[in-house]
Amino acid sequence: MTVKKLAKNDFDSFIDAIIQSKKVYGPQVKGEKYDFAQLNAAQDLCMDYDVSLLPPTKYFLPVRETLMTFEVGGGYTSQQDEEPFVLVGVHPYDLVAINQMDILFSQDNYDSHYMTRRKHATIVACDVVTPSANVFASSMGTAVVKEGADVLVTDIGDGYLLEAMTDKGAILLASATRATEADASDMQKRQAVRDVNQKSLNKHELKCDSAYLPKLLSQAYDHSVWEEMAETCFACGSCNVVCPTCYCFDVKDDVNWDMASGKRERCVDGCLLDGFTKVAGDHEFRKVQAHRFRHRLFRKAKYVPAKIGGQIACVGCGRCVSACLPNIANPVTIYNKLLDDLGMS
Amino acid sequence: MSKPRIAVFDFACCEGCQLQIVNLEEEILDLLAGADVVEWREAMSEQSDEYDIAIIEGSITRPEDEARIKEIRSRAKVLIALGACATIGGINKLKNNFDLDEVKTCVYGADAGKPHLATAMTKAVDEVVTVDFKVEGCPIDRKEFTYIVRCLLLGKTPEIPVYPVCVECKANGNPCLWDQGEVCLGPIIKAGCGARCPSNSHRCFGCRGYVDNPNVNAAKDVIEKYNLDIDTLKLKMSLFGSQQEPTVS
Repeated sequence: MTVKKLAKNDFDSFIDAIIQSKKVYGPQVKGEKYDFAQLNAAQDLCMDYDVSLLPPTKYFLPVRETLMTFEVGGGYTSQQDEEPFVLVGVHPYDLVAINQMDILFSQDNYDSHYMTRRKHATIVACDVVTPSANVFASSMGTAVVKEGADVLVTDIGDGYLLEAMTDKGAILLASATRATEADASDMQKRQAVRDVNQKSLNKHELKCDSAYLPKLLSQAYDHSVWEEMAETCFACGSCNVVCPTCYCFDVKDDVNWDMASGKRERCVDGCLLDGFTKVAGDHEFRKVQAHRFRHRLFRKAKYVPAKIGGQIACVGCGRCVSACLPNIANPVTIYNKLLDDLGMS
Repeated sequence: MSKPRIAVFDFACCEGCQLQIVNLEEEILDLLAGADVVEWREAMSEQSDEYDIAIIEGSITRPEDEARIKEIRSRAKVLIALGACATIGGINKLKNNFDLDEVKTCVYGADAGKPHLATAMTKAVDEVVTVDFKVEGCPIDRKEFTYIVRCLLLGKTPEIPVYPVCVECKANGNPCLWDQGEVCLGPIIKAGCGARCPSNSHRCFGCRGYVDNPNVNAAKDVIEKYNLDIDTLKLKMSLFGSQQEPTVS
């Protein structure tokens, strides 16, 4: 598919026109940070944001949602969110996370709530303009993407290059009537942006190829690092909640006052939290905080990769590093320490 | 099956949590349809010694309060502590940081020695009698209260979060108040409030009480990282988190 070019003010008009017909979500200013929220006008969209407080995965797996309503002893009605929307400004690392979630939520028990939203979404990804304080996407191979979005936007200074990657993306781009075809010099500029990002989104540098991590962890289960780091863990779950690849949830029923009908909700949960592994009969299979701490790092680089064809489920967004008050959540620090102690075999 | 009889009693408190029940508006009719309220001083004149569920607001601060709460406990099948004063002692426990005679003189002056002004160390309700369910918060969250009552009417155990406020705060997409120089108690205080204060740019005051295992080592590290004084943290903790012994030394 051809790559189109839009002047920046024409890009705004393009987005404003989409807002007229569909819900559009994109990164906007929130205090001194950025977060994804519904766009009322293109002028609120910050395509040069560094990182959002919460990952855009929240539009597919909300922190709280009603799965179904039920009548006690009389069946249920599943709640499906079928409203089409456009998600603009997704960074490559977050896009990789969404694509990983797509695999996870469609395998084993197909999750219709997630997948219905996903099918009704059009994703406009964008290359990073401003690296965030703790990004390490370059170390995780997620700084630049070639697929997974419907449209990929790159800021080349004097305008945006827009590439449709799917038919859905091509239909969206067809409405950008002021777009011209990108020429060879524009394409070179785009390549230059990506070449820089490929290496420079790396505030924390992993000392090995990320593909080696599952093997590294297979020797590290009983390492002392888990206990050392967990000593100052609040068990606050901030690292879980801000993570684009953490998808664990809890399910609760709430019965109405008529005691005959109610709703089933799911809400965010996290493996660092007290009570996460508590099951019927008050049994708890990860009682110690160090084991919970270890579990998160094993999920990212061993357990989940085994379910999604070897992809590492840490995309290097750095949100956990920023969110952790005692500063113990950085996966690179931990993996590097293990590399130092265990070496590469 | 007859409807369960509910009685509401207050001890040392501002009665604001009961007011939250009065303020249920349309839901109060649902509540009254599901249960018979037989005593509730703030809302009605009738009284009764026969009830199934006792809802207790306020903390236990005088010797005679202990006898009264024990009597209520002996009559009730289920006892619910309502609001921070009842569940954790609330701000009434600030008193425990000082000498009791000093406290009495400060408040009552020359009358401090009179017998009807006897006072004792403040206790949460569960420091005197067994509490079956707690509705945390200052004030309580109305939605949480009605959820707990519905669970009780169904014979189901309510599921109340045991994790810290940070979970709900982060899930709301809030920037962290610690990064803005605030000593927020979110990491060590139980969630369930929907992170209402930090979501409105106010630090967590700790009204729902500490999580089961608050990590004091982590708190010390964080205080150092942000170049703050440990006493600042202790002072913030003393508002809702004072114990039987002085919190602020």
